[in-house]
Amino acid sequence: MPVVKVLTAGIGEADLREIATYEARGGYRQWKRAVRELSPADVLKAVDASGLRGRGGAGFPTGRKWQFLPASDAPRYLVCNCDEAEPGTFKDHMLLEENPHAVLEGILLGAYGIASHHAFIYIRGEFKRGYQIFSRALEQARAVGYVGTNVLGTGYDLEVTVHRGAGAYICGEETGLLNSLEGKRGEPRLKPPFPAVAGLYGMPTVVNNVETLAYIVPILERGPEWFASVGTERSKGYKIVSVSGHVQRPGNYEVPMGTPVRELVEIAGGLRPGRTLKAIQPGGGSSACIFEEHLDLPYDYESMAKAGSMLGSGAFVVFDDTTDFVKAAHNLVRFFAHESCGQCTPCREGGHWLERVLERFVHGRGLPGDLEMLHRVSGSITGLNLCALGDSIEPFLKSVLRRFPEQFEARVIGRNGVAAR
Amino acid sequence: MAHQDSGEKVTVTIDGIPLQVPKGTLLVEAAKLAGIEIPVYCYHTKLGPAGLCRICLVEIEGMPKLQIACNTPVTDGMVVRTQGDKVTTGRATVLELFLVNHPLDCPICDKGGECDLQDYAMAYGRGTSDLADPKERKPKAVDLGPTIVLDEERCIVCQRCVRFDALIPGERRLVVKERGHRDIIATATGEPYRHHFTGNVTELCPVGALTSKTYRFLSRPWDLQRTETSCVHCSVGCRQYADVRYGTLLRTMSVPGDDAISDGWLCDRGRYNIGFLSARERLTQPLHRRDGAFVAIDWEEALSLWADALRAVLKEKGAAGVGVIGGGRLLNEEAYLLQHLFRSLGIRNIDWRAGRQRQATPGNDGGDLAALERAQAIVVLGASPGERAPVLDLRIRKAVMRNGARLVRIAPLEAPPPIPATDVATVEEAMAAIGGAGRIAIVWDGVDVELARRLVAACDAQGAERFTYITGEQGNARGAEAMGMLPSSGPGYASLPEGGLSTDAMLRAAADGAIGALAIFGANPLLRYPDAALVRAALERVPFVAVADLFLTETARQATLVLPAAHAYEKRGTIINATGSLLPVEPAVAAPDGVLSDLEIAIGLAQQLGVALPSEEEVHRAVVAAAAAMPELTLGDVLFGDAARARDVAADDRRNGESAAAIRLAVETALFTGGGTCAHDERLAALRARQRVRLAVDDARVLGVRDGDRVDIVVGERALRDLPVAVDASLRAGTAVLIDGIPDRPANLFLPGEVVQMTRARAAVAVEA
Repeated sequence: MPVVKVLTAGIGEADLREIATYEARGGYRQWKRAVRELSPADVLKAVDASGLRGRGGAGFPTGRKWQFLPASDAPRYLVCNCDEAEPGTFKDHMLLEENPHAVLEGILLGAYGIASHHAFIYIRGEFKRGYQIFSRALEQARAVGYVGTNVLGTGYDLEVTVHRGAGAYICGEETGLLNSLEGKRGEPRLKPPFPAVAGLYGMPTVVNNVETLAYIVPILERGPEWFASVGTERSKGYKIVSVSGHVQRPGNYEVPMGTPVRELVEIAGGLRPGRTLKAIQPGGGSSACIFEEHLDLPYDYESMAKAGSMLGSGAFVVFDDTTDFVKAAHNLVRFFAHESCGQCTPCREGGHWLERVLERFVHGRGLPGDLEMLHRVSGSITGLNLCALGDSIEPFLKSVLRRFPEQFEARVIGRNGVAAR
Repeated sequence: MAHQDSGEKVTVTIDGIPLQVPKGTLLVEAAKLAGIEIPVYCYHTKLGPAGLCRICLVEIEGMPKLQIACNTPVTDGMVVRTQGDKVTTGRATVLELFLVNHPLDCPICDKGGECDLQDYAMAYGRGTSDLADPKERKPKAVDLGPTIVLDEERCIVCQRCVRFDALIPGERRLVVKERGHRDIIATATGEPYRHHFTGNVTELCPVGALTSKTYRFLSRPWDLQRTETSCVHCSVGCRQYADVRYGTLLRTMSVPGDDAISDGWLCDRGRYNIGFLSARERLTQPLHRRDGAFVAIDWEEALSLWADALRAVLKEKGAAGVGVIGGGRLLNEEAYLLQHLFRSLGIRNIDWRAGRQRQATPGNDGGDLAALERAQAIVVLGASPGERAPVLDLRIRKAVMRNGARLVRIAPLEAPPPIPATDVATVEEAMAAIGGAGRIAIVWDGVDVELARRLVAACDAQGAERFTYITGEQGNARGAEAMGMLPSSGPGYASLPEGGLSTDAMLRAAADGAIGALAIFGANPLLRYPDAALVRAALERVPFVAVADLFLTETARQATLVLPAAHAYEKRGTIINATGSLLPVEPAVAAPDGVLSDLEIAIGLAQQLGVALPSEEEVHRAVVAAAAAMPELTLGDVLFGDAARARDVAADDRRNGESAAAIRLAVETALFTGGGTCAHDERLAALRARQRVRLAVDDARVLGVRDGDRVDIVVGERALRDLPVAVDASLRAGTAVLIDGIPDRPANLFLPGEVVQMTRARAAVAVEA
């Protein structure tokens, strides 16, 4: 079994929330080294060389993202996106609560890497406990001079601000997050300009995921080559995968990129006895399903994309033969319709329309023509939206409509035995 | 907007048409140049891209997904298709989705016939829908505020209204509430949507969600006869369309492309104050006072009575015994002809100034509206342009919000605009607040001549480039000056060596019995001149007072002869706005039977008096020449004859360096005031300013009154009773502020800066006891 312990090392064994414990295990050594001995460019170079890609969902190369920042004297900001809300994802939640100092050290290194003097962490509103734990960790780090003005006497100032969201999925979208952080309505911004040019308060900004930033600590510790040596050609390093659904031991598992899909199911205890696999949603609620024919694919960005899905944030949801895919589709579409900010038409109107039709299906009241409508409308709204939310409605629905049409057909009035009344 | 023109051109091909456009041009704008329509809802040239509605999808070579034309700047070599299967499907999808929950109530919707949703659905929609579920219900006929009704079901959430409110007036009252398909438009605070520019959102709204209360269910666009004219409610002179159905002016709309004057916006006074035209109280017959009561007479009799009176006075007292007041509300041609007529008779006592304003023409340092946008600092002196020239104030807000200009207000009385502004007490403080700005705009109300002079001198001392603006108390104040409605200058500001009396001197002379006949055109000094007692004394003493106006105003009620006059919407001619533009006025409706324009009145009187008048052609040439004249003067210059004013008590005190520890009255300007068009438009009831006295916290404490309590203000015989109190923390102790021009409680009962006695209103005391 390829389970590894990098970011998850020590979790469950020691109380990493205590700064002393964290430091005893080598914590903050990289921050001290970086701020004393390395230049921001050194940190950026290491991150770039490691091949680290964004763990929040889009998988964009982190080093490249940082390089988009224009050279200027304007203030620049690092924002840690801890609004983890993708259905099926619970890795950042765990890191925040169980290894908060690693998250903080990653934030400090990331901010230093882009020569920022002010970093923010935007914590999902529901993560109250995580917020408390992280805030305490931050105060501990501040007390010993790792954060604030003149860090460790080096003359480098780095402030970290903790912000709690109010519980909206859309605030995980980086520009929605920035608006919310500024105190505005959490709506994604029109791009361009991109945050690297005009982000938080109109200043150059990098938004990185919790896991992404946390991996910078081991990358500096063991070298970018160590990280780059693991995984597949374009998907390097490790990944925490949140496995859930119809497995016997759901949970977060840290594995090398490219671990076969089949193994991920096995790591999580496999299916329940006597059950057969129907589908896997490999990259969170926004991703299309893959099926048994994909079990031997390596779990990496490219293979998942090739299979018509995506790795996303690493939320790996397993469905066995007890699954009602009509209900599952309705549940997800309802989620996206509910979380639509309402700015753009296809997402606002389309999502809600699909939800209402699927709701009828759930109650066995599908109409002839509805299936065509579901296919047509879900397909046509994709690609028309301002942000990715609107494009997240179709993938799961379409994949299960195609794979399990009989489950939907059976809910059409006149074909379901219930018949039209 | 949204792009900087660097001069560099790029080539883009749209639907096969190659096009050279400035680098950075948005695709949606580039397409317009090629004559290609790209449908838009959320995008608006003045608001920029928002990327919300997704209707402007186009195909760009090399890009897999459809792109929105509104936020895509063209790049060199870009090849764009606005037609084709992909685009057609994308647009049709978006339209289908707009209509999923749209009520399709076009037959009863005011927007029907000029609705972008209707039009694009016809042009680009599928024609059918797969919708099998009931439509969402949302609030209908929501009373958003005094001017606007909202239908949530029709709203397509393009957010033009929300963005307008934030970007143009900077008011930020409108927001989107709720989320997703539950989105609704509302005010952030839940209070009524109210400021001076609300009506613009009804024009921006591409569907029938936001409609004007004054226009609901009244007409269809194809039934409207449209006239392009200039608004005369204030001195900005916004171009506007006047839309008429069956002889009634139903609405006014902004004129797209009027970038020089209105910038595409109208204020709510200019938009909504049209109901007075058909008010029941409108005068339609001359009235003659006989034995203390008015008797309706015909025009011939009226003009002959007037001519007789004039002849008698001229014979008895000479030309010095005749006075003429008014002109700021007339058209240029009328003002020109009137001064010509009276000067032909040797009459020199001519002055348009009937209120507080003393100067309306800034001279050759006067700026245009676009220059105001480019100012690095803007100093406001006197009445708030937001109340007196609202659309000019939008330029100030643009300069501040978009271009970072610094706004400084000297001793302001009105509430601050919703943008950063520094309020100072003196010219010196203003200069300090400006810093070293090189381009300074001064916006003055033409009242405090001494302060204006000092400000100009201070700007000059700094070596700054100076642009000056004078907002007019009356819409054509500057035109009246250019046409020679001044005691010592004729048309084109030609100096008249033998000047006549100013309004102030005329009123004094009249009160002393030296004036035998007075004519007042489109002016209401009894409500607007800063010394009502003097005006009343004058009107009572003059044997023959002729007043030409639309209504039986405060002043007209004191007249011997009242002449029903036409409004600018009913006549043709020109005006000169505050920045010196000569603007055409076209008749949108016919004047009611029995009403004559001031031009016709002048001609009629001239006939009676046997005075030959210049031809229409000659008048036109004279007006154009006078409008082009540029006097050598600046703010505060007294070129127009005796500008001395009714006793300005505060100025006396300033000169004497004395400051009594008592409450002095100051007067602020408000947009919806006056005894004429505003008072007689019943649909403005909710917008009209109501008199109240603003009191400093300390003064309120001393008086023992709180917000909403009532006070009496008394000076000798003069009293305003039972005034509501508004306690204002920003006010300096010792100053109380009344609103000018409120008919039922006129502030001009008291002199500017007069020390008053203020006590709790007896009624209120009684209730408490």
